Amino acid sequence: MRNNRRLLGWLDERTGLKKIWETLFARKIPESKGSVAWFYTLGSACLFVFVVQVITGVLLAMNYVPSPDHAYDSVRFIDKQVFLGHFLRGLHKWGATFMVVVVLLHMLRVYFMGAYKYPREVTWMMGVVILLLVMAFSFTGYLLPWDQKAYWATAVGANIAGQTPVVGSHVAKILKGGEEMGVATLTRFYALHVLVLPILTALLVGIHLFLVVWHGISEPPEKTNRQIESN
Amino acid sequence: MDGSSDNTTRFSRRHFLSWIITTVGAVIAAVLGSTAIGYFISPAFQRKEENWVDLGPIGTFPKGNPTKVEFVQRMRDAWVTTERRSSAWVLTSDGENYIVFDPRCTHLGCPYHWDEEKKQFLCPCHTAVFDVGGGVVSGPPPRPLDRYQNKIVDDRLYVFPKPTQVKT
Repeated sequence: MRNNRRLLGWLDERTGLKKIWETLFARKIPESKGSVAWFYTLGSACLFVFVVQVITGVLLAMNYVPSPDHAYDSVRFIDKQVFLGHFLRGLHKWGATFMVVVVLLHMLRVYFMGAYKYPREVTWMMGVVILLLVMAFSFTGYLLPWDQKAYWATAVGANIAGQTPVVGSHVAKILKGGEEMGVATLTRFYALHVLVLPILTALLVGIHLFLVVWHGISEPPEKTNRQIESN
Repeated sequence: MDGSSDNTTRFSRRHFLSWIITTVGAVIAAVLGSTAIGYFISPAFQRKEENWVDLGPIGTFPKGNPTKVEFVQRMRDAWVTTERRSSAWVLTSDGENYIVFDPRCTHLGCPYHWDEEKKQFLCPCHTAVFDVGGGVVSGPPPRPLDRYQNKIVDDRLYVFPKPTQVKT
């Protein structure tokens, strides 16, 4: 016990650990009760699901090959052969679904509580970009199992992008990595899914969280006089 | 935890909540962590698949003379199955006990052949000579012909095409 404290003291002297801990975790938050208090947990829920997605995603990448020859078989291999592979892939798949749900709920709570207002506009904007990144994650990740559903869902997505006036056909080609869907589409989506998007998301989540801590959590909206009277 | 600043001896609300959070967090971390670690280290505990190759019914092998048998070995590497054409020399004297030789000379791995007249295995590369039991008669080989493990199941001969050395 005493040794622990000495070690912590030693670390704190050299890293400011205590201050960091107090700033991040022992900060003051607005008093709230009942269901309103639960709404404040949605942001943390997003972060938690993101961390789960990163961990499970890294592990899945160890047994996955983004090539039409191997993609489907390697996913099957994870499902049928690798120890706990089925469970891990299940976590990633359900985590992906939850991510979208939780991020949207988080956005709704910020919107309805008016927490996006001055001075937190930049936090909100970062959040909007993160929402788009989550959607991009969903779209690119959906192709990777390379089964019928994945293939045709991406074909539909690319066709939708192709409907954009003027630049549509170019956008579709950029998405597909060529004229037709194929090898280049899969490698392209994989690179986006495991390299580009995670880095961008981590960066933006970092900024988002910095701003959250810096501003402090917004108070729940107060009831106006009229609402109080009508109660 | 900064809850330690609380001087009351009873179990405070703050303590209770932080205890709950820590416990639930630990359980979640344990489930996730053990899954991740299990998945990651599972190759260490993987059983190696025994790849016995079926060489056909035992009646087809002539007694006394070694016969060269061609077979296709299917090898599984994760989700990739590769087929490799391979061969072996099968020797039996009674139709019940079999010796299966690796088809490569123990000197430098050249394929040897059976000389029917001399009743010897001859290797063309460096004129190595083995007797019918695989023992070195003359030439540079350091040891007798390597063998494959074999077994008979339901009157069919199976080999495990991994060379095992015969002690001299």
